[in-house]
Amino acid sequence: MKEMLDTALSSENTILIQKTLRSGQSIKHSGNVVILGDVNPGAEVVAGGHVVVMGAVRGMVHAGAFGDENATVTAFCLNPIQLRICNYITRIPDGNHPEPTEPETARIINQGIVIENISLQGNRLF
Amino acid sequence: MGEVLVITSGKGGVGKTTATANIGTGLALMGKKIVMVDTDIGLRNLDVVMGLENRIVYDIVDVVQGNCRLKQALIKDKRFENMYLLPAAQTKDKTAVSEEQMKNLSDNLKTEFDYIVIDCPAGIEQGFKNAIAGAEKAVVVTTPEVSAVRDADRIVGLLESSGLREPKLIINRIRPQMVKKGDMMSMEDIIEILAVDLLGVVPDDESVVVSTNRGEPAVMDKASRAGQAFRNISQRITGEEIPLMNLEANSGWLEKIKRWVTKS
Repeated sequence: MKEMLDTALSSENTILIQKTLRSGQSIKHSGNVVILGDVNPGAEVVAGGHVVVMGAVRGMVHAGAFGDENATVTAFCLNPIQLRICNYITRIPDGNHPEPTEPETARIINQGIVIENISLQGNRLF
Repeated sequence: MGEVLVITSGKGGVGKTTATANIGTGLALMGKKIVMVDTDIGLRNLDVVMGLENRIVYDIVDVVQGNCRLKQALIKDKRFENMYLLPAAQTKDKTAVSEEQMKNLSDNLKTEFDYIVIDCPAGIEQGFKNAIAGAEKAVVVTTPEVSAVRDADRIVGLLESSGLREPKLIINRIRPQMVKKGDMMSMEDIIEILAVDLLGVVPDDESVVVSTNRGEPAVMDKASRAGQAFRNISQRITGEEIPLMNLEANSGWLEKIKRWVTKS
């Protein structure tokens, strides 16, 4: 987690979106994207770097869209319709699933997108 | 060579997308190779109703603009091998495709599929013009409301002036009890105004709401009355002669007892 934030913060090419992205809205950016709000179903975020959502992701997020395999997607509630990192695509399995209640990060591990629970407890950065 | 069918209505919320999903699935149930095309760019819904939203990678705009091949954008249904969906784009608008491009697209799809079912957006602007551009037959959906019938009449006129003669009519969400009491327009009233051939009548049915939210069309539910109506409609589209279903008769024995109890 710390590593990820370090690289994300060290890059200057980061934009901050201070609103909820609604259906049909899309953000495309060559660097990192931080969203203070939600990403609703039908909305999309395409970023060259990491994507951090301080809210719920229920739409489509594509991190590392221009070939960065180390890109990650982090959200307070990571429940996307479809998730893309670099050239990997994954989707939620069919059927009903409860929404996650804890922050999670998605990254590529062993040629697949893996979602991990993250805990900031005892790991304060500032 | 396949047949291109457009489902339209003019007014929004009368059940175009529901009808498209159910007719498409009904035809697939009969073993036809079909593709549904969502032309409601910017307000796409058909993918959600079909439960295929999470499989979208490319869409109709990507196809017409040459960002991908047609085959890459077609989503195979999770239940039927012979049913496909071409989704609309959500982050673009209706001007992203032209009538000419839609015509070419329909011609391409015709060589591969038995039926191409096009879901038309509400309104009579560019989206409507795109949806009907490649169509050979039209199905107009209306509900038994004055406003919906008024809009359907406008649509029938527009279809005729663009060469789609003899559109067929679906009357959706009819409630026989209300018609009986004179509180709702009857089938006959609507046909008299619109003067087009009736393709089917679909009763108002709560199970449609449930199946729509679940992403499973009502035709797949054997117990659903609306599902039965849509199965009949699909069969009529293939040329079979199926009589109109009796809207009065409630199928379940529980319903019969319920009615018997309320009557006495």
